[in-house]
Amino acid sequence: MDYKREGSLTMGRLSGPGKYRLIAVFVSAVMAALLPVALFAGDNGPCIDCHTKTDKLKVQEKAKIDPVTGEIRVVSMLVDEAIFKATAHGGSDFFCIDCHQDLDGADLTEGHKPNLKPVDCITFCHDDPAEEYLQSSHVKHMKEKNKDVPTCKDCHAGLTYHYTDLGEKSPRDVPRGTDPLHRKITIDACGSCHTDYLNSYRDNAHGQVTALGHTTTDVPVCFDCHGKHTILNSSEAESKVGKERIIETCGKCHANVGASFVKHIEHPQIKNLNYYKTLLTALKKSGGDPEALKKIILNPQTILCIVFVMYVGILAFTFSAFGVHSLLGWFAIVRDERQRKGHADEEHH
Amino acid sequence: MKSTTNYLRFGLFHRFSHFLIIISFFGLVLTGVPLAFRSYGWARWLYEMFGGYPTAGYIHRICALITFFAAFLHFAFLFVCVSVKKQKGYFWGVDSLLIQPRDIFDIIADIKWFMGIGKRPNFDRWIYWEKFEYLSLMWGTLVMAVTGIILWFPAQFTKIVPVAVASIIDVPSIALIVHRYEAILAAGFIFSIHFFHTHLLPEKMPVDEAIFTGKITEAEFKHERLIQFNRLEKQKDLESFRVAPSSLFVSFLTRLFAVPILITGLIMVGLMFSALLVWAL
Repeated sequence: MDYKREGSLTMGRLSGPGKYRLIAVFVSAVMAALLPVALFAGDNGPCIDCHTKTDKLKVQEKAKIDPVTGEIRVVSMLVDEAIFKATAHGGSDFFCIDCHQDLDGADLTEGHKPNLKPVDCITFCHDDPAEEYLQSSHVKHMKEKNKDVPTCKDCHAGLTYHYTDLGEKSPRDVPRGTDPLHRKITIDACGSCHTDYLNSYRDNAHGQVTALGHTTTDVPVCFDCHGKHTILNSSEAESKVGKERIIETCGKCHANVGASFVKHIEHPQIKNLNYYKTLLTALKKSGGDPEALKKIILNPQTILCIVFVMYVGILAFTFSAFGVHSLLGWFAIVRDERQRKGHADEEHH
Repeated sequence: MKSTTNYLRFGLFHRFSHFLIIISFFGLVLTGVPLAFRSYGWARWLYEMFGGYPTAGYIHRICALITFFAAFLHFAFLFVCVSVKKQKGYFWGVDSLLIQPRDIFDIIADIKWFMGIGKRPNFDRWIYWEKFEYLSLMWGTLVMAVTGIILWFPAQFTKIVPVAVASIIDVPSIALIVHRYEAILAAGFIFSIHFFHTHLLPEKMPVDEAIFTGKITEAEFKHERLIQFNRLEKQKDLESFRVAPSSLFVSFLTRLFAVPILITGLIMVGLMFSALLVWAL
């Protein structure tokens, strides 16, 4: 999946629904000439006119039932225009009515009808990601191994950032894919299951920068390398981190990368105790067989672990040896000074 | 002003080199250490103080260039002295910073003094731990420079590594690990061992001004390096090292510069050490 296409949320509109929208725009334009106070695609004005003002909005709060959990919440009908504009759906070519399609052409003289249908994200616009997701290793795991894998809502609705203070939890405010806070949250979302991978990512050059809170698009988070909906195991040919596509993936940021560059270990196991345990077990199993030993040692992860352990040793030795040396030197100076003082005092008496 | 006899211990070149290293080392540590201690709040704060990503990284690279410049100056100086001026004693003898046989005896004598079974030993121009600090600075700079350049230009560097080698030895990852832990070693060493054993000694507190003003008093000279003092006196060279004592103003300026830097270093090593404790407990 190419990044630009995935990042933009307009792709659904290019195919089927675009046609409907064009018709809607046309019909609305004709109606606009006839009815002065009606709601049309192509203009958020009438909506914003009431939904940002407490004195104009007749119904400011409503009860909403979560279709999945059955949870009942009171949600505000007020919209913070600035926050909304910054969201994935806040672009100038996108309108309230695109999602709230049952309000198309509604007469606003008396206010529109109170109960809208729940917004359907997938049928008209986001059918592609759903299709792609079904091809991913996540779904393969679910089908073949009956594993509990994340589905749409685990990633998309579970993010509190989708809600604003003003709109008190409104799924309307979906952040853009490039939004730093959104990108930061995705690291934690992936990491909530892939703990070991999150930890090892933090030990690498990319992860140490994002750990310091910098998550704009110039430092990769999980999905920049692994993909979003079509995440595939690296052993699969189509995988973004597999043999075939890894140069292309790294090349998005690093100009002029070669076949050696992509051998880089993005998830070093240097601080993973379990990795050391498996190493020890493998060593025991080998029984001193030189071929088996060679295989264990000539592994990039093992070599990184050796370098790391070596440095821990150097640090421990240097600081304990020189720390003791400095302390003893300090005490000896103080002791000498006291003795000298003692002598001086004796002479004085 | 105390009317004492003063001698020159460090020439202008070495004082300037030390100053350059202070500036670049602090720039490198303050912008680099946050990455190594990324999970702590203070690291984030410090990183943001220096402009965060990528500004902190640019400062880091500029300071690296200053370090390269200081290293270049050092070896150019050595080259001029040894090859052009044909001066002797840089690699062997009392003036050499390389380890000499007598250093072994000095270490033993020092340990005896620590234990209280011997007198404070007398030293020549360079004491063994000073030599160790010098040599570790050389080694550390080399390691940090090589690994730093690899991390600076990973794509270009891996071009010269054959794929067969790269699939066993992941050079950029090794460079990152070595760069990170060598940095912790260097920063920790300078801010604790070097500070406490040079500037914050009970008899020097808060700063050993010799490396900033270049001057030491006769009493200090005799106390610290009696063998060198006696040797110079015997060779009738002592007078050539004699200088006017530094004024109170210069002394004040030295402290004004050095004390905040020492405090910054102590805070850094305190934070690093507390992070280690938090991790270990």
